[in-house]
This record gives sequence, structure tokens and C-alpha cells, in this order.
Amino acid sequence: MSKVVGLPGVPKNRILASKEAALFRTVLQLYETRQWKRGLKTADQILKKNPDHGETLSMRGLILTNLNRKEEGQECVKKGVRMDLTSHICWHVFGLVHKADRNYEEALKCYTQALKFEKDNLNILRDAAHLQMQLRHFDQLVETRQILLKNRVNVRQSWAAMAIAYHLNGQLESATKVLELYERTVKDIPPYDPEHSEFLLYHIAILEEMGSHSEALNLLDVSAKSRSITDRSMISIFRARLLHKLERSEEAREVWVSLIEANTECYDHYKGYLSTQSLDLDSQDSETRKLSMVTLRRFAEQYPKAVAPRRILLELSAGDEFKEIVEHYLLHGITRGIPSLFADIKDLYVSPEKREVIQDIVEGIRTKLEKGGTSSEPPTTYIWTMYFLVQHYSSMPSTIPHALSLVDEAIAHTPTLPELYVAKARALKRTGDPLGASATMGAAWRLDLQDRFLNTKYAKYLLRAGFIEEGNKTLGLFTKKGASSPGADLEDMQSFFYMLEEGDAQNRAGRLNLALKRYHTAFKTFDDVEDDQYDFHSYAVRKYTFRTYLQFIKVEDRLRSHPAYAHAALAASKIYIRLFDSPKLASPTAGLTDAQKKAAKKAKKAELKQQEDAKKASQPAATDDSEVAAIKDDDPEGLKLLAAPDPLDRAAKLLSPLQQLRPELLDTWLVSYDVAIRRKRYLQALKALNHAKSIDKNGAEVHSRVIELKTKGTLPPSSNPASQLIPADQSLEAFNSAFLQRHSTSAPHIVAAARGMVYIRGADGPRADVEDLVFQLTREEVEADVPTSLQALSFLRDTLRSSRVEEFRVACDARFPLATVFKDEKSSPRFMHPECSILFNPVRTATSQRSWRCDVDTFIATGVEEFPCILY
Amino acid sequence: MNIRLATPADLLGMQACNLQNLPENYSFRYYLYHFLTWPQLSYVAEDHKGRIVGYILAKMEEEPSDAPHGHVTSISVLRSYRRLGLAKKLMVMSQEAMATVYKAEYVSLHVRKSNRAALGLYKDALGFDVHDIEKKYYADGEDAYAMRLSLKTE
Repeated sequence: MSKVVGLPGVPKNRILASKEAALFRTVLQLYETRQWKRGLKTADQILKKNPDHGETLSMRGLILTNLNRKEEGQECVKKGVRMDLTSHICWHVFGLVHKADRNYEEALKCYTQALKFEKDNLNILRDAAHLQMQLRHFDQLVETRQILLKNRVNVRQSWAAMAIAYHLNGQLESATKVLELYERTVKDIPPYDPEHSEFLLYHIAILEEMGSHSEALNLLDVSAKSRSITDRSMISIFRARLLHKLERSEEAREVWVSLIEANTECYDHYKGYLSTQSLDLDSQDSETRKLSMVTLRRFAEQYPKAVAPRRILLELSAGDEFKEIVEHYLLHGITRGIPSLFADIKDLYVSPEKREVIQDIVEGIRTKLEKGGTSSEPPTTYIWTMYFLVQHYSSMPSTIPHALSLVDEAIAHTPTLPELYVAKARALKRTGDPLGASATMGAAWRLDLQDRFLNTKYAKYLLRAGFIEEGNKTLGLFTKKGASSPGADLEDMQSFFYMLEEGDAQNRAGRLNLALKRYHTAFKTFDDVEDDQYDFHSYAVRKYTFRTYLQFIKVEDRLRSHPAYAHAALAASKIYIRLFDSPKLASPTAGLTDAQKKAAKKAKKAELKQQEDAKKASQPAATDDSEVAAIKDDDPEGLKLLAAPDPLDRAAKLLSPLQQLRPELLDTWLVSYDVAIRRKRYLQALKALNHAKSIDKNGAEVHSRVIELKTKGTLPPSSNPASQLIPADQSLEAFNSAFLQRHSTSAPHIVAAARGMVYIRGADGPRADVEDLVFQLTREEVEADVPTSLQALSFLRDTLRSSRVEEFRVACDARFPLATVFKDEKSSPRFMHPECSILFNPVRTATSQRSWRCDVDTFIATGVEEFPCILY
Repeated sequence: MNIRLATPADLLGMQACNLQNLPENYSFRYYLYHFLTWPQLSYVAEDHKGRIVGYILAKMEEEPSDAPHGHVTSISVLRSYRRLGLAKKLMVMSQEAMATVYKAEYVSLHVRKSNRAALGLYKDALGFDVHDIEKKYYADGEDAYAMRLSLKTE
């Protein structure tokens, strides 16, 4: 926004007297230097004399939005545009305001309008280019970049930006032509210039993408020789790949060897080498595997310390060969005390034979150590052997009790190793005992209070056991002291782990408003990460990091494929479905007892006070011009989210990115179906169900929904809803019982068939035999686990309103003696694990006294994908 | 564990690994700033499922008053993946890139005075020396050792 007033052809109402014209220039300057308050005053001075001056009104509005007086500012900007419809300043400002509001489409429209009146304004053109990039309007981007290049031929970056635009628009030839033209004009770049180095690598990358491999290799070799490319490792990677594509395998192999030499732990290097022998590690072909093994054995011998080739060999080998390699691998890991040994090899357990071999070997080591007494091995070897075995036996539900007895033995031997408690906590968690698990993790935590890793784990386990306040306090040991709460700092630092674990915990505790609030913070964080791109559209071009930038753009395009998004979107959608089914849940205290309500009130009061105190403490003294009123969260408790009038529409919106980016996820389609059927969009429901079926053909969750759709859905005859799902000649009853017969020993399938029966008979149909069916789960020969049994319990209680709920609970309790989730609420603490006592010491307070039993619904409601927290 | 150059697809994983493990945390933008300025310097260690279990986030300091040198903004390996030598391998890869791509003469980093484990790693395994003590370097008032390692080859 540079030139302003007094040009010929300018509408009369834009012309200011010379004093005001000078003031207007001051306003622009003050805006650029972020002196907003003074800018505002100066604008008001102009408006006193010229109340309808559009450009001043616009600038005034823009400044107001920067002072966080958004609505007032936007009104003012709009008025400015109305007063001067042909001013590029007014339109540009309007665009800036939209942009700040993340309304990129509207912003771009405004810039386009502005350019009509000032077609070569470089500022506006650049802003427009960045928006076109943000919106991925590549054809428009090419046009804008062409104009910019014409205007700024002497600037290096204009050329690069032009090439990137062509590249993204699929015009690779044009992109390389631009780069070549540019390279011919620059002569004065000294060697060892990292920026030019990236520029050349980008050029080579495009040539490779076009399939011009020899040209790419030529440019690479010339530039490497002249030291124009400084990134030696990148030179080798490109070189190896290009040589391979040019079928110069021998030379390619040499380069791959040099790369392996430089980093023996990079899998890509081995894969690259194997590719020159036409070998592929993913191939199941036995001949391919044999040949790959020959190569990898050679590397393993050549680099005795390299882990990667040995680990790959474990994958490829079988029989005696496997036994030999794995024995060495395990011994090495155990004697060196590598804690990740089990995590490292457990992938191999997809093969039961390998699992058995490993078990035999490690049990053998243990026997030897136990018999050998005081042999040459230090006692740590014994402990790491035990640690391995504990994890090994924890990985199968049937051997968890054995794992628990082993771990107690190990702890008795070495009570100071946190890892043992971590392993025990995990085993307890798997038996359905979140309480004992959290207490045990607490024991690990107390052994090393300086370690944030253990602190995070402990907090997670506390949250999972329903100790929300303690969990937050524990997290607070490592968050910023000035933050209003530990959670506020973790949200600031974009911790998905926190948002999801706390959201899930609130969900389980029935505080759906707070659960929604946390999930929505996760959604907002994804929005923020998406917006973060914006400033880097120009930055990356200035820094010549084009290749990385383009990779980054692709990552942003698939941002919501991240497991944290899937988790939050599915969990929030399930809450929205519950809110639709029972609108009374929208009252925030629904489902809480009086005592709980009281406690909640008290906690809230304390929290508010704490927040206010923190605010007071952190408020800087109001001094300078740029002081801005802080934006307040107008829904800190998530009550507005809870009361949303359109829960299903919201769910559908959250699910839509998953349908695009995570179509392989069964839950994407199951929950999409659940939303669609409630919105009476039967075709959508059918589509979702067909997707689900293609993922899990005989799935329990799919089955009950097929019957639901068939009984509820009304579709035009041409698209008979269940036509592809149920054979035409089969009645629903027959379909259901055939399903049951096929899966008579699988708990989830039995529950699904029971649900099917309810759908078929309608809400008032007979229930006795449905109950009997659910009770099949208590039979020995039925494979049942804790989550499915909980689900069955909730089905009995809520759907069937059965009188046999208690009977089922007692049966489950007997079947899963280690689980605490089936304990009677009133039962005495005799079910507590000895370590539990520590829970009552450090941070336990009255407000979090809660029943032993996890709330059944919500245990299930949040049982989306067990997510490994290190992913977030 | 697979050790390789970090790519933009690793940003969120590195951020999560850092949050789980270390008290000094950074926003996504800050990671991004490193990537889009010095894309050659950051490395990750990932497990078989592609989860980031360790990383080094590094940059260059290029003030005209000083020789060009690298700086380790953050390095971390999850507790459950220690004793594999991952930190050392990550550090060596990054240093190599600092020296070849940017002609860095030395690499610097800060470590909490109380963090004896890390101090041991930097001193004994990696050859760093304490160059200076920076008083109250950390937000909680703790001092930092400013450590350095020369990257000159002679």
C-alpha cells in the first residue's frame, strides 16, 4: 500500500486536502510499524473532516481488527469498501481482514477485485499468490507468478517461484525451462553456496520426475564437481537412484555401499542396494527372499555393529537360520540391557513359530542364569531377561497372569528398575484393571521423578483410571509454571496426547461438554497447523528450500490423516450421536450424582480463581501503543458445544476428512453409517456400510448395522438398501442365525447377533432369548475379552433394560478375576493392588473420589483404536 | 531402529516425542522454521511402525561476528529406546551435514546443569567441552552449560 492520493482519474470522494492526505500517509506508516493506537487516533482525525472517506475507513477498520475489536473493525472495513468501490486499498484491506479470519476464499476474491484497479501492484500480487498457494489454485497461481516475474526479472526468487508454480500445476517442461533460463543468467555465484545448492537439487528433482534421468544425472555430476551442490549425502542419494534408473546397476551399487557406510542404520539405503539387484524386501517370493538374505548377510559381516541388516534378516529368515540369527540378536540385547528389545522384535510374532523359538531361547537364557548361580554374567543380565519375558507373556491375554507372577519375582530381585513397573502396569491395564495399572505406574514414576517420560506415562495411566485431577497435577510437574493450568500449557504446546487423553477421561467420566471441548482443541490445533503454512509460502522461496517446501505442502494436504485427528473426530462424532439419541445428555450435569455435582461446582470455582490469579500474575503493565485486549474463550467449559442444535451435521463435517484420507479405517465407515442412518440419508448409510464390509467382511459391527439398515431404511426400490448386503432369498431371521452359527464362539459376533435380533423384532419384541444369547459370553468355550464383555453389559443394561444385569456382571467378574471394571461399586478395597495405597498419599483429593467401576458406556465409547501415545 | 534424514512428514512426530520426553517444548511453527531453513540438519530414529522414537533438531548460527557453526536446538530419545546409541548416531549425522553443507567450524548446544546423564553423553561419548555457563538460561531459572565440539578435521 504505497501510493495514495492526488492522481488524475481518481474519484472525487477519494481526494483529501493536503493536510489530511499527509495524515493518511501517516496512518499507513503507523499500521506498517504496528503502532495501532496512534494509527487509530490519526485515522479519526481524518474522519472528523471526511467522515465518508473510504480508504481511511478501511484502514481504521483494519487497525481495529488488530486491536482485537474484530466485529467493529470488520464493519468499518465493509463501510470503507462501500464508500469507495474502486479503491484498490479498500479491497486489499478487505482481503487482509478476511485472510486474518482464515477466510481464504473470500480474501482471494477481494485481492482479485483490488487487482482490477491496480493490476501491477506487487504487494497485492504477492498476497494473491500466497492465497492461491494456500487454496491450491495452481492455474491461477501460474498466471499471478507470470505477472510477478515480468515485473521483477532481476530477482532470483521470482524465477524460483515461477518454477514452483509450473511444477505444482503439472507443467514440468515449463518449470525446467524457467530454471534453465535463470541458471544461464547467473554467473557470479561462488561455489559452496548452500542456497544455490538447493536450487540445483530442485532442478535435478524435477528432471528426475519428468523421467529425464540422464539429463538429471548430467546436471548432478557437473554441479557436484564444481562444488555448486554442497549436500554430499543428497548428491549420493540422487546419484544412486538415477544410476539405477539408467540401468547402470554396478555404479549404483557402489554409491549405495558408500551411503550404507555413512549410515548403517538407514533402511532406505539397503532397499536401494537391493533394488539394483531387482530385489524387493516386501516381496513374499521365496527366491527373492533368499537372494536378499545373501546380500544382507554380507553387509552384516562387513559391519559387525550394524543392527539394521540383522533386524531385516530376522524378518526374512526362517527355521534354523532364523534361530541362529535371533539367538545372537537376543543375547546381545539382553546382555547390553537394551530396554526396547521386546518392542523391537515383537513384530515377528505374526509368525507363531518365531514366537515360540524366541520364547524357548529366552527361557533357556533364564534357566542357564538361574542354574549358573554366580557365573560371569552380571545380575543385570538376569533382570533384563526377566523384563523381556514379562513383556513376552503380557502380549497374549492367556499368559498375562504368568507375566504378572514373573514381574513380581523380578521386582523382588531388583526393586529399583522403573521399567519393571512400567511392564507390570501395562500388563494390568490389559487385564482390565486400570486402577492397579495406574498405581503401579506410580511406583515407576516415584523411582525417577526427574524423568518426563515416566511422568507422562503416569499421568496417562491416572487419566485412564479416572483420576483426572491427579493426572493433571502430575502433568503439571513438567509444564510452565506461569501457565493458567498444566492443560493450558500443553494445549499451547499442541500436545495431542493431552487433548485426547484428557478428552477421553472426561468422556468416560460422563462430562461430555469437557470431552467435546478437548477434542475441539485438537481440531483447532489441526486448523492452526494448516494455517501455519501461510507465512512459509514466501519464506521457503526466500530460503531456496523448495524441495522441502513441496514435501511439506503434500504433508499439509494430508494433514488430517494423522491418527490424532481420526481419534478425536471419531470420539467427538460418537458423542454427537449420543447427544442426538438422548438430548437430555446436553445438560452438563446429566448422569452425575448430587455429590458429584457439588464437587464439580467446587472444583470449577477453584479453577476459575486459579485462572484469574494466573492472569493477574502474568499481565504485563499497560504501557505501549500496541497493547491489545486478550481474546477470551467464550466457551471454556464446552457447554456451547454440548448444546449445539445440529449434532449430526457437526459429526458429518468431522467425518468427511476421514472418508477422504482414512478410508482404510473401519471406524470411519461405521461411524459415518451411524450418522447417516440418523439423518435418514439411507443411500449414504448404504455406501458407508459397503465400505465397511469391504474392510471387514464378516465383522460383528458390520453385521448388526446391515440388519438395522434393512429394518429402518426406506429407499427407492431401484436401490434396495440391503440388496448387496443380504442375499435376496434369505429372511432377516435366517440371515442373523446363519451369522450366529458361523461365529458361535466369538463374543463380538454373538453380541452383534443379539443386536440384530432386537432390530428385527422392534422395540417391544420379546427379549428373553436375546438375554440368553448374551449370556453365551460367560461360557468357557466362547472367546471373550474384557472390552467385549463390557459392551455386552452395557447392551443388557441400556438397550434391553434387562433384569439380569447384575447376574451378568457377577459372571464376568468371575471370568476375569484380575479385572476391576466388573467389581461391585460397593465392594471393599480388597480388590486393590498393594501398590494402590500410594494413590491415597500424594495428590489424592476429595473431589476425585469415585467408584471403582469404570463407566461402561464410556469405556466403550472411547475405545476407538488403542492409540500408542508416542504417535502424538 | 531406522535412522534417516527428517522430512516434513516427521514434524508432528518429533514434536510429540519432544513433549513426552523433555521439559523444553516448541510449537509446530518452530519445527517448521528449522526444516524450511536448514532441511539437511535434522534426523530421526523411527521404529518399525514409523513412530518417531528419537530425533535431533538442529540449525546454523550465522552471525557475521562469529565463525559459522551449528547449534543443536533439541535432541531426545524416548526412555524406552535408550542404550541403542541412537542419540550418538543422530548427532553424528547432523554434525556431518553441518560441516559439509554449511562449512560449520563447530557445533554448540545447551544442557541443564542438573542433567548429568546428558552431560555424560555429550562429554564422554561425543567429545563436547563446556565452553561457558549461561546463568538462568532456562525458564525455571536453572543454569545451562554452553557446550562446544570442534568440527575441523585436522
